[in-house]
Amino acid sequence: MSLHVDNLCKSFNGKVAVDHISFDMTEPGVYGLIGTNGAGKTTTIRMILGIMRGDSGSASWNGKPISRETLAFGYMPEERGIYMKNKVIDQLVYFGRLRGMSREAAKKSALSYMERLEVLEYQDMVAEKLSKGNQQKIQLIATLIHNPELIFLDEPFSGLDPVNAEILNRLIRELTDEGRYIVMSSHQMSVVEEYCEDLLILHHGKTILKGNMREIKAGYGHTNLIVSCGGDVSAVAKDCGLQLLERRANETEYKINGDEMADRFLKELVERQLYPTKFEIKEPSLNEIFIEKVGNEL
Amino acid sequence: MKQVWTVFEFTLKDVVKKKAFIISTVIIVAAILILSLVPKGISLFSGEGEKQEESGAEEAPAETGNDGAEEGTDVCYYVDEANLIPGGMDALSEGYPDIRFEKGKETDIDGYRKKMEEDHSVSVVWLTEQDKRPFIHVVNRDFMSGVSADTIAEILSDAYVSQTLSALGIDQTVIADMSQPLGFEEEMVGDLNVTGYVLGIIFTMLMFFAIYYYGYGVAMSVATEKTTRVMETLVVSAKPSRILIGKCLAMGALGLMQFGGILLFAVICCMLFIPDGFVLFGAPVSLSAITPYTAVFLIAYFILGYALFAMLNAVCGASVSKIEDLNSAMMPVSLMAVASFYLGYFTTITTSANGTLQKVAMYFPFSAPFMVPSRLLNGGIKTWEMLVSLGIMLAAIVVLALISVRIYSASVLHYGKRQSILKLLKKAE
Repeated sequence: MSLHVDNLCKSFNGKVAVDHISFDMTEPGVYGLIGTNGAGKTTTIRMILGIMRGDSGSASWNGKPISRETLAFGYMPEERGIYMKNKVIDQLVYFGRLRGMSREAAKKSALSYMERLEVLEYQDMVAEKLSKGNQQKIQLIATLIHNPELIFLDEPFSGLDPVNAEILNRLIRELTDEGRYIVMSSHQMSVVEEYCEDLLILHHGKTILKGNMREIKAGYGHTNLIVSCGGDVSAVAKDCGLQLLERRANETEYKINGDEMADRFLKELVERQLYPTKFEIKEPSLNEIFIEKVGNEL
Repeated sequence: MKQVWTVFEFTLKDVVKKKAFIISTVIIVAAILILSLVPKGISLFSGEGEKQEESGAEEAPAETGNDGAEEGTDVCYYVDEANLIPGGMDALSEGYPDIRFEKGKETDIDGYRKKMEEDHSVSVVWLTEQDKRPFIHVVNRDFMSGVSADTIAEILSDAYVSQTLSALGIDQTVIADMSQPLGFEEEMVGDLNVTGYVLGIIFTMLMFFAIYYYGYGVAMSVATEKTTRVMETLVVSAKPSRILIGKCLAMGALGLMQFGGILLFAVICCMLFIPDGFVLFGAPVSLSAITPYTAVFLIAYFILGYALFAMLNAVCGASVSKIEDLNSAMMPVSLMAVASFYLGYFTTITTSANGTLQKVAMYFPFSAPFMVPSRLLNGGIKTWEMLVSLGIMLAAIVVLALISVRIYSASVLHYGKRQSILKLLKKAE
């Protein structure tokens, strides 16, 4: 199974919203669509799903065009929308039935997901009485109720508290273990970094970076160094040409020009009898890469 | 089809469960029950004479003008010191047997006026000479009391003519003969179906209310789904056309159920509680104009009329991003509905069934549901004319549905500033 997106383009009143976006997803897992607000993520997803007609380009699943009729995909939009005045179970059954399920199958599936997301007790409540986090879970169940192979999650973690975020985290991992294909759109880099093996960074509708996360980071080399030490290492760092990135409570992060710089710094510390309890050489974070890329574009 | 049914079922259940629907239905049903018990109540309080009382308004003499007030007028001062119309007071006493006419003086007129301010049963008729002819002044306390100036003038004019002719030596019998109005007879070839006429007007209004109300329900439902972003979840599950059709069908079915149910209840109440031959304001209260034939056509006009406006309303609902914009978005459709209603209504109450305007109102799809039912209840329309009218409506619905579905599909995912229908049409191409 594979998702193939080829040269999608879309303009609104002459303004380009999506400019020749292409990517492939050939294995189950989570694919990240990253970008600032208005970068074109939602428009891209809508065009892939066929609910918005693009100006050009195509999207296919297993070589066939994607549409409501040809593929049981799931889509959780960025703006949450459920019937506030209706009972939770009633509307979930409704969404399931719209996806071609029988009433019984829809109810069974809804209850199963409600149990997994720990909201079973709210089945007979009207949605407006639920907390925002729980409403979001109901929206997610409406997306997954028909057990789709291809799932699009648009900013799934926004507005979730840590407990609910952990529950969603668990579910996403379970879904990928089950072999589902998930396209996750987000502007939260930490979220994408945690889930996505492959990603595409969008800015003003254009692709500014695309590929495997590990390979992208490897391409940047070791650029960050995190040190935790009993003594003050700042003077040594300065002498070795390290650039301070962030000073945290128990550790300090520096920018380095490569492994040699880190090696020289470590030797210098030892010579001065400063023995670090933590000395971690890292690739840049996705956030740093994003800022660098988007900054270059600006 | 399955998705249309799913949307239909969900929407229908959703609206039926709403408090507003339940409360409005209960109130209307209770009101009908109470109104249908009114005749019984009247007979309880006033015995057998209610028929006469109810129809009494029709029997009052037309020439008395302010007749209700005259019953309370005890005294009318008649001032004609120059005796401009001899026998004028006698003529007035004959014309107004319930009023006591007393000779008054010109010098007392201001006194009469003061008296009138406290007592509504006093009035004054006062004659002066202008251009060598009598001139009549009538003074009443207010519009609702005293004597009718028109009637007084008519009676005194007759007396003046009679007196003048008599002075010219014309025989009294000739004068009396000339004073008598010529006899006449009016013949109606057809039966005036008073019940059908009244029911027709009631049905025209109910039809407008129902079509507008349930159509508004469609707009509200679509707008709510869009503004709460449920639409984004829906459109990935079902084609917008299926959502639109399912929703319109559901609101239409709800209308038929509620509107039809209420009418059926009203008919049952009428049959159970309103006595045969009961007359209200001179019109017999009966449902003889409603037959299975008329009922079928009434239902057909409701369904098609509703469908026509529902399609337009759905587009209005889909064009807004905020629920508070809905009324302004619906303004063009509302104006068209009101204009169509008035076209239908006024062509209904005019007498000629063959005028050009009547034909336009009958075949114009938007006014037909407000015009034809009334004609139908009065037996003033042929079956083939209604079939042609329904056919035109059906064709209009199909065309409108095709356009509406396109606009709806193009607008349901548009958020931000509300776009005009023309822009949406362009977008839908």
